[in-house]
Amino acid sequence: MRRLIVLFLLLSLPLLAGAGAVRVQDDTGRDVRLERPAERVIVLAPHLTELVYELGAEARLVAVGAHSDYPEDATALPRIGSAQRLDLEAILALEPDLVLAWDSGNVKRPLRRLEAYGVPVYRSEPRQLEQVADNLRALGSLLGAHKQGERLAQDYLSELARLTRTHVDRPVITVFYQVWDQPVMTVNGEHLISQALETCGGRNVFAALSRLTPRLDPEAVLAEDPEVMLASAEPDGVDPLARWRAHGRLTAVERGNLMLLPPDILVRPSSRLLHGLAALCDALEQARARRPGN
Amino acid sequence: MIRRYPVLLLLALGALVSLLLALVVGSTDVSIGALRAVLSGEATDFQRLVLLELRLPRSLAAFGTGALLALSGALLQVLLRNPLADPYVLGVSGGAAVGALLVIMLGLSSALVPPAAFAGALGSTLLVFGLAQAAGAWTPERLILTGVVIAAGWGALISLLLSLSPDTDLPAMLYWLMGDVGQGGTPWPALAMTGVVLLCALPLGRSLNILARGGLQAEVLGVPVRGLEWAVYLLASLATAVAVTTAGAIGFVGLVVPHMLRLIIGNDQRVLLPAAALLGGSLLTLADTLARTVIAPEQLPVGVITAILGVPVFLYLLYRSR
Repeated sequence: MRRLIVLFLLLSLPLLAGAGAVRVQDDTGRDVRLERPAERVIVLAPHLTELVYELGAEARLVAVGAHSDYPEDATALPRIGSAQRLDLEAILALEPDLVLAWDSGNVKRPLRRLEAYGVPVYRSEPRQLEQVADNLRALGSLLGAHKQGERLAQDYLSELARLTRTHVDRPVITVFYQVWDQPVMTVNGEHLISQALETCGGRNVFAALSRLTPRLDPEAVLAEDPEVMLASAEPDGVDPLARWRAHGRLTAVERGNLMLLPPDILVRPSSRLLHGLAALCDALEQARARRPGN
Repeated sequence: MIRRYPVLLLLALGALVSLLLALVVGSTDVSIGALRAVLSGEATDFQRLVLLELRLPRSLAAFGTGALLALSGALLQVLLRNPLADPYVLGVSGGAAVGALLVIMLGLSSALVPPAAFAGALGSTLLVFGLAQAAGAWTPERLILTGVVIAAGWGALISLLLSLSPDTDLPAMLYWLMGDVGQGGTPWPALAMTGVVLLCALPLGRSLNILARGGLQAEVLGVPVRGLEWAVYLLASLATAVAVTTAGAIGFVGLVVPHMLRLIIGNDQRVLLPAAALLGGSLLTLADTLARTVIAPEQLPVGVITAILGVPVFLYLLYRSR
């Protein structure tokens, strides 16, 4: 009998040791393994800061990268350089047990060096609206908020499904989304913004271009003559769509469909994306109402 | 030496062709037929919009900018007696860039970028001139060294501004630094300035020819060297300032166009200056047309095209003339 107990204990040892161990796959397909949920986390991109706050795991944050300005509390956290120039020394000095990075927004080499020093790095790169839910689940596991992550992911997906259902049968409306006015830049079909447009029944007129954020010849925009022109509102109130207003013969101008969306939220893949998505769908709905004959 | 007037005539013809090409080529199918329709008053709204409101001002801006850069380069090469002189050698573009980037970084209205760039360019000019003059009589060597050092200083400030700026401002900043004719500005300042520089510099042509052979010689021959150098410096700086304000810092044109022409028509400033304006203008117009059509509807930075076009042509001329 004693032998049996000893055997049982021996067999369960790995299980006990592994009780807190976490293993998730990040958006770049890499495995991220932790022996226990992370306690000292450094975040290098604004959308990841938002996700950590959503999970209620902000107590585990030791520092955030530049531009993490939401929620308000995040601005009080210690800052750690910009996305492009990571201060490795400062990062290592904080002894993080997890770094959350943005694959296309952060420079890659310092991240590899962090891993070489034994700091696990989770790389987020959502290219599908649904992937925000994957991020919520993965971060939930990594930060010991597994249940919360699962719940938030479910909420996110069901709200996304609701918005998709509502707009899936709406008449398609052509849209130009301007990410930058000088020079004129837009997004192609792979961009999250373009997928958001599609979800709302919009068609990105430049979806077929090959680069993620192509720089455009303005006359190409005029030639497409989209029904709607969208941009993010600038914090200083400057109208980024001003140059198009001068062209009164454009369909979008004629119908008053030059619209500004709340800044940041369509660009940052956190749950706030859904607010942006809802605002976007509303804007396109207004534009449909302005079609002649309505 | 090739005769002058045929060359000027040929260059003027080339300028017309380049402007015409800029009008009828683009990322949409608005082309020669549309131009005919606009001229006969039968064009659709869209054709008029593209031709008259987009391509015409843009190609004129390109032409004016190219002309100013080539003029400024030609004048500075005479003033500094240095073949490496270009419109930016005295730090004018660096000063302009710092002004423009500051406006972008502070998030001020983009309408403030041109005035800030112009102020930066003039500020840099005054700074260099004041410093070069502080120790009494200035020599070309002193002026060029001061200019190069100030330009290096601006370069450092530009790097500093770029590294302190939020990532969202970087596209605008980089495109400004690479030079872009499509910034939507009006072409009139550049065209008017081209006229002013030519009108002021052409009567000085003979004196400039003598000055090009050396300051001492010019003085012996009774040329008022100090006054002439002042005038040349002022004209070249104003030309560069207006060019940079219109289209950002476009390299290469100002350095190479005057040299190209010297290889063909010699160093008589009375012919060289108008020829430089015509060739510089045509080259930049052509380059901008390519920049917006090569990967249409996307655009390339025009400075890339000027160098790709200009380098082989210049090397060919250089080695043929030996």
